[in-house]
Amino acid sequence: MLRKADTSAVWAIVASLVLFFIGGLLTTVVPPMVDKSWGKPFANSDPAKGPTGHLAKLNEQQLQGRAIYVREGCWYCHTQQIRTLLADTKRYGWKGVDAPISTPDEFVYDTPHMFGTKRTGPDLARIGGRYDTQWHRTHFRNPRDLVKGSIMPAFPWIVNDPKEFTALVAYMQTLGRAKDWRPANDYEK
Amino acid sequence: MQEQFSRAESGGAAPGAIIHEDTTVKWFVVSSISYFFIVGIIALVIAAKFVWPDLMGTTSWLTYGRLRPLHVNGMLFGWLLAADMGLTFYIVPRLCAVKIWSEKLGVATGILWNIIILSAVVSLLLGRNKGFEYGELEMFISVLVVVAWLMFTANILMTIFQRKYQAMYVSIWYFMGCLLWTAFVYLTGNFATLLATGVNQANLNWMYVHNAVGLIFTPVGLGIAYYFIPRSSNTPLFSHKLSMVGFWSLAFVYVWTGAHHMLHGPISQWLQTIAIAFSLMLLVPVWAVVYNLIITMKGQWHQLRDKVELKFLMSGVVFYLLTCFQGPMHSLRTVNAIVSKTDWIPGHAHMAVLGAFSFFAIAGTYYAAPRVFGKLLHSVPLANWSYWMIMIGGLGFFTTLWLGGFWQGWQWNNVSIPFIDTVVALKPIWTVRFISGVMIFVGIVMFAYNIMATVLGPETEAAA
Repeated sequence: MLRKADTSAVWAIVASLVLFFIGGLLTTVVPPMVDKSWGKPFANSDPAKGPTGHLAKLNEQQLQGRAIYVREGCWYCHTQQIRTLLADTKRYGWKGVDAPISTPDEFVYDTPHMFGTKRTGPDLARIGGRYDTQWHRTHFRNPRDLVKGSIMPAFPWIVNDPKEFTALVAYMQTLGRAKDWRPANDYEK
Repeated sequence: MQEQFSRAESGGAAPGAIIHEDTTVKWFVVSSISYFFIVGIIALVIAAKFVWPDLMGTTSWLTYGRLRPLHVNGMLFGWLLAADMGLTFYIVPRLCAVKIWSEKLGVATGILWNIIILSAVVSLLLGRNKGFEYGELEMFISVLVVVAWLMFTANILMTIFQRKYQAMYVSIWYFMGCLLWTAFVYLTGNFATLLATGVNQANLNWMYVHNAVGLIFTPVGLGIAYYFIPRSSNTPLFSHKLSMVGFWSLAFVYVWTGAHHMLHGPISQWLQTIAIAFSLMLLVPVWAVVYNLIITMKGQWHQLRDKVELKFLMSGVVFYLLTCFQGPMHSLRTVNAIVSKTDWIPGHAHMAVLGAFSFFAIAGTYYAAPRVFGKLLHSVPLANWSYWMIMIGGLGFFTTLWLGGFWQGWQWNNVSIPFIDTVVALKPIWTVRFISGVMIFVGIVMFAYNIMATVLGPETEAAA
């Protein structure tokens, strides 16, 4: 068959597409049908099965904040996934508690997804509730005022727009909170 | 100039029997080198921002988050794909010994492509970003890309269908593969992703991201290399059979590998394992192609001294081999745990897109531009200088980012080091990256100037 594709353009087209679609369909369309956790929102009330909690949809304001996060390209430098590596769970934990590993059911309402490919800054999957609004205000105005050596851009036009700033912080405070992983709920507002 | 070329091209009418208009090629050559230069400036700015983060910092549309998608889309679609399309318009009619099916349609494609790139620049600076890697462009621009691609596909396929020779040279398969796969890969990354959420969407997105390189730039790039290496060196291709192994294994294997972008991440373990297995299998098409192209040059290496396009082509082959060795290694879980998400990644990505495929496109432009415009190349020494600047700058860029990325990964895996210390530690790496970037940019300026001076220079009959 592939020999024929050597002299017949139609054969070449058919063969290229058949080979492409075998792998294409088996790796994109079939997996979510096999693994149901890709589409079912996280909910767990049994402490024996790990962190408890349930995933809620974002409200209007949080969605606006998320849109700002997308617009400014925050996702180019900050991933949102705690991988199955000790280094991830330890590094992004807080006050001695390890960050729980990210699971597919935590992201079913997310579009566009924010997993990211590059960490120029730290991962933000469990950032929600780690810092308060005042900290974020100072940090967005000029990151280097709080973190010496940071190379994050300053975002004065967001801080100076109360609506945008409140929305962005509201979104960031939701990150990773579905899994109620911090002891005694010591989240910052 | 009677070449022993391939059996597809050597039979039939004497060369020169067909007069190619090449108006389309001219459009794409001039546009692509202009964007190479303009987007090169953006590249320098964002490299500088790693070293001086406050540079232009208080203007919203000049922040890293706005300029980075402009750099990525500008280089991928404004420079590289436009150059590749122009070279496809140059090569396919010659390999088929017919005129291009429709020169008018080709020129219209070139104009539409410029409209797309200019709308992309404006919309990205305004922060209108869909939020998908490589799929940032707004919906209406994505639709225009699809229209332009259909115009391009129709034109090239019709040219192939009315070819003079029955047998198709390997470059033609690669161009056909690129046309078809790009269509489906692009639709997945820009439209199918909108129907999904979360992990499912990420999986579709990475099928697109990986195959944007693997099934768009790789086939068209290899098609160009397969044409220009024998053509420029006046040597027949080593093996037709081996080129079949390379092409059909690429057609089957590449599409399976997207999930290796999510190793250790929130995606099914079995899918990760499949992606790793197929990523390792990529060594088959890569070795088949590289072996074929290198052995073709056996006994002909001295020609590299005189022909700048061969310098670019063969360095491109070596970078292709290196980058396609890195890819499978990076997809091993143990290696991935260190280098994933570090600066190693841009080092790797730049070696593929700049080191391999842009080298092929530059070589093709150096060869084709003087011929389509009927001029002699403005300056051969300047062309050599452009090669050495891009080569040395590129090597500096790639090697510092791999080493820096490894080092960064080691630091991340030691949880007693605060994250900010790992950022500060990378600053010397980013400084070297910026300096290498300046060298690459100087090379780009020399290349763009040389081609423009050729285009605007005096007519000569000797060149055609």
